[in-house]
Amino acid sequence: MPIRRLILTLAVILSLVALLAYGFFRDPRYIPSPLVGKPAPNFSLQLYSGEKVELSALRGKVVFINFWASWCPPCIAEAKEMEAAWRKLKDQNVVFIGVEIQDTEANGRAFVKEFDITYLMGNDPTGKIPIDYGVWGIPESFFVDPDGRIVYKHVGAIDPELLVAKTAEAHQRIMTAKEGKGEYQSIR
Amino acid sequence: MRREKLKAVLLGVFLSLLTAHLLTYSLHATQPADVEQQAHAIAAELRCPVCQNLSVADSPSELAQQMRASIEEQLRQGKSPDEVKRFFVSKYGDWVLLAPPAKGFNLILWLLPAVAALCGVILVGFALRRWARKKAVQPTDAAYPSPPAGEDRRDFLAAEQARLDTEMRELDFDFQAGKLSDADYAALSGELKVQEAAVGKQLAAVPQYIAPRHPAEKPKARAGSEARAPKNWQLATGAAFLLLLGLGLGVLLTQSVRSRDSGDTMTGDFLTGTQAAGPQEATLARGRAAIEKGDFPQAIEAFKQVLTADPNNPEALAYMGIMLSQAGHKDGALTAFDRSLAADPNFPLALWGKGMLLYRTGGDPVEARRLLEKVSSMMPAGPEKTEVQNALTQISQSPGAPTTAAAKPESVPQAGTGSAAAEGQIAGVIDVDAKAKANLDARAVLFIIAKPSRGGGPPLAVKKVPSPKFPFSYSLSAKDVMMPGAVFSGKLYVTARLDKDGDPLTHSPEDLAGEYSKNPVDVGSKKVDFVLAPARPDAR
Repeated sequence: MPIRRLILTLAVILSLVALLAYGFFRDPRYIPSPLVGKPAPNFSLQLYSGEKVELSALRGKVVFINFWASWCPPCIAEAKEMEAAWRKLKDQNVVFIGVEIQDTEANGRAFVKEFDITYLMGNDPTGKIPIDYGVWGIPESFFVDPDGRIVYKHVGAIDPELLVAKTAEAHQRIMTAKEGKGEYQSIR
Repeated sequence: MRREKLKAVLLGVFLSLLTAHLLTYSLHATQPADVEQQAHAIAAELRCPVCQNLSVADSPSELAQQMRASIEEQLRQGKSPDEVKRFFVSKYGDWVLLAPPAKGFNLILWLLPAVAALCGVILVGFALRRWARKKAVQPTDAAYPSPPAGEDRRDFLAAEQARLDTEMRELDFDFQAGKLSDADYAALSGELKVQEAAVGKQLAAVPQYIAPRHPAEKPKARAGSEARAPKNWQLATGAAFLLLLGLGLGVLLTQSVRSRDSGDTMTGDFLTGTQAAGPQEATLARGRAAIEKGDFPQAIEAFKQVLTADPNNPEALAYMGIMLSQAGHKDGALTAFDRSLAADPNFPLALWGKGMLLYRTGGDPVEARRLLEKVSSMMPAGPEKTEVQNALTQISQSPGAPTTAAAKPESVPQAGTGSAAAEGQIAGVIDVDAKAKANLDARAVLFIIAKPSRGGGPPLAVKKVPSPKFPFSYSLSAKDVMMPGAVFSGKLYVTARLDKDGDPLTHSPEDLAGEYSKNPVDVGSKKVDFVLAPARPDAR
C-alpha cells in the first residue's frame, strides 16, 4: 500500500528531523541545576573588610549569594540595584554575600568602592565556591532559606523586584524549581 | 555457493568490527595509575561548562583550569574516579558528563545508532535475499515463468540467451582467475550449458511470422513494466529526501566547517542565536573598533594577528592597505589591496581603497575608474557613494592624464606666493642641513606629513615630492588629506622626511628628517619653516 509506505517513510524522516531540530533550537547554555532544594554547600569567604564569613554560621537567616566579576557587563548593570535592594532589606534578617570569581581582588575592591557596596563582599581566588555551586556563567545568584537549603537559582542579571520577592519567598521556605534567567556573560 | 561466500565475508567484517570495538573499549576502560593521568582521564569525560563540546581536559578556560585542580585535589584526598565524577554530577547535573548516562531521554542517544545499524543490516539482508531468490528462480529450463507468446516470446528468449552467454563468460573468467575449483566450474558450466540448450531449442521452435496481437495483451504488458519502474511516490519521497539532505548539508556544513573558538557553537548564530564570532571575527571586530576610535597601533596589531592566522584575509588586508595609504606608503598599500583583491576580487573595502588611492595619486586613472565604478555599483546610496561618484566624475573629466587632485599638489608649492596665504593651508619652507646638502641623492623623495597627534597614528595629510630642490616651499591643504572626507583643520604636527630610495617602508641611515620646532601648528599658519637633518634609522 503506497500511502501507508509514504506515511511510514515520512514519519521516520520527520521524527529524525524533529530530533535534530530539538537539539539545534535548544539553548545549549541552559543547564538546569540539580542543587535547587538541596542544602547549600558550606563555604568560608575572606571578605575585603578583613573578616571571614562562614555560610553555616548564617542559619536562621535568608542568604542571598551572588557570583560576579568586575569585567562582566551584566554584573556592572545589576550592581547598583542590588545595593539598593540590600539597603531596603538589611533589617529583615537577610544576608547578602557577593563572591567575586575569576577576577583579582584589586579589581573587586575598586568595584565595591565605585558602586558603594555595603553588603559582604570577598574574592575567591581558587574557584572552589563556584564549582561547589555549579556556577558556569556570571552573574549567578542563589537564595538560601533559613534552614540552609537552596530555594532558588537565578542565572544572569537579576532585577531588584525579583530579588525582593524571592527573598520574601525564601523566608517562607518556598522553593522555585525552575531557574530564573537574565542577561549573562559566560565565564572566561 | 556464492551465498556461502558472501556470508563468510559478512561474518568476517562483523567479527573484525567487533574486535576493534572491544579493543578500543578496553583501552578506554583501563585506568591509568598516576594521579595526574587519572585526573586527565576524568577531565576528558567532563564537559567544560563554558565551552561548546569541549572537555574540561581540553578547554583553556579559567573555569576548566579550576575544575582540573579540583579533580586532582579530590583524587589526592583518596576519592575514587567515580566519586569525583559523581561530585561534578551533583553540582552540574548529568549534563556535565560528555557521555551521558543511558537513561530517560538520553537513551535515544545510545539506542538510535544501534537501531539504525540494525535497520541497515535488516534492509541489506532483505535486499540480498530478494536478489539471491531472483537468481535462483530464473535458470530452470522448462520452468520459465510462462514466456510470452509471438514476437514478445522471441525477444524474451533472445534476451535470455544473451544473459546465459554473459554468465558463461563470467564463469570462464572466474575459473581462469582461480576463483573456482575444477569441480565447481564443471558443475556450474554444465548447468548453464543445459539451460542454453533449452533456450536455443525453444527459440528455434518460435514461428517466424509475426503473430497477431490481441488488443487486450498490450495494456497488460504495460502494467507489468510499470510495476518494475519506480513509482511516483517513491520518486517524490526520494527527491524530497535528497533535497532536504542537500539543503541541510549545504547550510550546516558551511556554517560548521570553519575555525571556532571555545565559546562558539557549531552552527554559529544560525539557529541558537549565539555569537558566530570565530577568533578571526573577534580580532577583526577589535581592529575595526580600534580604527573607529583612531587607535591605529591597536588596529594594526589586531589585523596583523588576523593575518598570521589567515594570511589572505581580505578584510584585514584591505584595512592594512587603507592604513598604509593613510600613512603615505603607497606601494605597501597597493600590495595590500592587491592581495586582498586576489583573495576576494569583489571585496568592496579593497576596491574602494585601491580605487581612491589610485585616483588621488593619479597613478592609473583607468584602473582607478574601473575599481571605483565597480565599488560604486555595490554601495548603498549615501555620502560615501557620492564621494566615489565625485571621484569618478573627476577622473572622466581628465581621461588618461593624472587626475586634477593629484596633479595640483606638485604645482601649488611655489614660494610664498598668494596661494599659500589662502585659508585652510599650512605653508612654509623646508631646507636641508648644510652638511647633508652636499650628498643629496637626485632620486630622493620628500614626504611632508601633517598628523593630528605626535604618536604613531596615521597622518591626516601627506604630500609626496619626488626629487625636490631645496630650499623647498610647500603648502599642505585639504587636497592632501589621505582619507577622503577627513577635515583638514585643528592643530597639526608637521614633519617631513627625505627618503633616499623613495620607499617609505625602508629606512636607511641616509634618510633625512625634521619637524617644525613649534609643533603643533594651526591650519592657516604660514612660515612653518624647518630644516631636515640626518635621522637615526629608528626615529620616525
